[in-house]
Amino acid sequence: MNARKFRDSETVDFVIVGSGAAGGVIARELARAHLSVVVLEQGPRLVPAEFEHDELKYWFMGGMTPHSVRNPQTFRRDATQTAERPPVRPPLFYARGVGGTTLHYTANYWRFREIDFHERSALGAISGTTFEDWPISYADLEPYYTKVDWDIGVSGLAGASPFDPPRTRPYPMPPVPVKSSGVLFERGARKLGWHPTPAPLAINSTFYNGRPACVHCGFCHGFACEVMAKASSLTTVIPQAEATGNCEVRAESYVSRIEMDKRGRVTGVTYFDADKHEHFQRARAVVVAANGGETPRLLLNSANPRFPQGLANSSGVVGKNLMFNYTARVLGLFEHELNEYKSVQVTRILHDFYDSDPRRGFYGGGGLDARIGPQPTIWALRAAGDGPGWGKGLKDHLREFPRSMQVACHTTSLALESNNITIDPTLKDAWGVPAIRVTYRDHPDDLATARFLQDRGAEILDAAGALRVTKAAVTESSLGFHLLGTCRMGNDPAKSVVDRFHRSHDIPNLFVCDGSSLVTSGRGQPTMTIQALAFRAGEHIAGFARRNEI
Amino acid sequence: MGAVTLDWAAIAQAGHDAHAAAQSPANLAYTLLVPADAADLEALTSQIVPSDETPGAREAGVTFFIDRALGSFFAHWRESFTRGLGEFQAACRTQNGDLAFAALPSARQIEFLGAVDRTPFFEQVRLLTLCGMFSSPQYGGNRGGVGWKLIGFEDQHVFEPPFGYYDRGHHERTGS
Repeated sequence: MNARKFRDSETVDFVIVGSGAAGGVIARELARAHLSVVVLEQGPRLVPAEFEHDELKYWFMGGMTPHSVRNPQTFRRDATQTAERPPVRPPLFYARGVGGTTLHYTANYWRFREIDFHERSALGAISGTTFEDWPISYADLEPYYTKVDWDIGVSGLAGASPFDPPRTRPYPMPPVPVKSSGVLFERGARKLGWHPTPAPLAINSTFYNGRPACVHCGFCHGFACEVMAKASSLTTVIPQAEATGNCEVRAESYVSRIEMDKRGRVTGVTYFDADKHEHFQRARAVVVAANGGETPRLLLNSANPRFPQGLANSSGVVGKNLMFNYTARVLGLFEHELNEYKSVQVTRILHDFYDSDPRRGFYGGGGLDARIGPQPTIWALRAAGDGPGWGKGLKDHLREFPRSMQVACHTTSLALESNNITIDPTLKDAWGVPAIRVTYRDHPDDLATARFLQDRGAEILDAAGALRVTKAAVTESSLGFHLLGTCRMGNDPAKSVVDRFHRSHDIPNLFVCDGSSLVTSGRGQPTMTIQALAFRAGEHIAGFARRNEI
Repeated sequence: MGAVTLDWAAIAQAGHDAHAAAQSPANLAYTLLVPADAADLEALTSQIVPSDETPGAREAGVTFFIDRALGSFFAHWRESFTRGLGEFQAACRTQNGDLAFAALPSARQIEFLGAVDRTPFFEQVRLLTLCGMFSSPQYGGNRGGVGWKLIGFEDQHVFEPPFGYYDRGHHERTGS
């Protein structure tokens, strides 16, 4: 690898904070445009051979995600409560390491549809919420969705779904082999007159872009792919950025502050290296792509006398409108073995209930999928929570593992100012940086949508011939996997953080692009949209840099 | 040289046996738990996943796993665990004529647990029990993979379709 090295004292064109879904893509686009780029990633750089099938390490020991002692966060439901540290794991579950959350995600790659971008105009305002239209349309983003399909690598079947938005090219790979859960889901949904379709996944079904096909190991959700079949920024755009000779990726480089000069322009970032020594990397412009939790934290922690409530926050919107997407679960027990622990999480999905329907009496829509759910340890813990908690009853339930599947029902989340990321008033992490405080309570319509979709999931399992169908309790969220909306895009500087090109309204050489940019939550699979936004942002930001507009 | 390469299976078996011997109960010692606490914890975890015609928490080495976990990767839970265990033991003795939990008949253990199975301590022990039962054997539990065998999970890195009963025949027909 001919990756370039820069000195801290050198002024690079761009510092990018974060190397995940968005940061990796933007790094490649800027580096290919002959701009000099330093990517700073808080976590380590691992090679795929180091990734293990180890549930304890990755789900309970902070092996790749925030560690409850070193990277603590607090959680509360609303502002009247004192936020506390949850006992098992911090409330935001994202991956640290070069590749970011694309290391451990499930890789469901659904495009958003036209309606997602102008739903408020279509349905009207919703009282008490900050439900808004996007400043861009599906048509603006379509070329970049196609870029994700081909440059990152998505397997799927174009034209299979009557609900799919227009696309300019088919998928580059066929779908991965269907699993028993997919066959049963399809059987049940068809009996009901619905439209199950092969799941689009950023997982190779054939050799593609220099990476092999999936070997069906079953460890996608919460694990990184040791054979590189699952697309991660670590194995796709990051090495491509480095190959230009214009990009350096510094792992274990933890950014604590964005610095600013007297003219109100950012000058670079302060970060800790692996030995906790502080450095300052100078840059002409800064792109923050640290995820919907860490991005607002960094902007808020970078407050200075000129911007006392945090950078890019004259609107007061930084950190607000956090959206998790709710996932309701329905379990089905069948006569024969499915062995869902093998292969990818999802092989069939259903979008018949994607649109919000005012006749239901609440806002919301979503997508359903047939999936494994968890591997053994999480399976056992959920079994104990869903059914008999201990004793012979629990043991009998545990043994249903190979004959079980679940339908996961993914919902919209309404944007609320009261759901947010703020800085905890007292807690600091192992570097002395003030920690994230999460405040979150699902809107009643989100939970109503979850229950509505869960009933549809139960109908599918019944129609597929399940011996027993169990709906897991729909309770308020306390763990966030999708970290969306906290630095939303918009045309109005009083109501949004960045403009339609991801430039902050307040600071001309500060850009933000990641899950925080989303105005609405979509229906539960945000990564493809985050990457489409990043390809689009990268192209525009490169143009600004060439025209000396940063 | 030839003899060695011809006998891979035997070599693999020898390695397997050595590993199993190292994990046999005779060679284990608790690092944190005193015997009375270990006995109560073993009785408690055995009520969570009981042993019957198939192995339970006891055969998986869950108590040993918990002892190791609280001394290393779950050290930050040790304080709440120790406090919770003390309260559990005191409540048990108060209600059972000063008998330790481990000394109670199984039926009485089940009855007592029915009253405390919503406490944070019980939930913590259950979490530790299930982690010790089903996580990788390298952490001291799930001995010999008994937890995985119990639920029918194969620890293998590569699978090929068909994966289960319902997708048989589907792959030849559609290729997807």
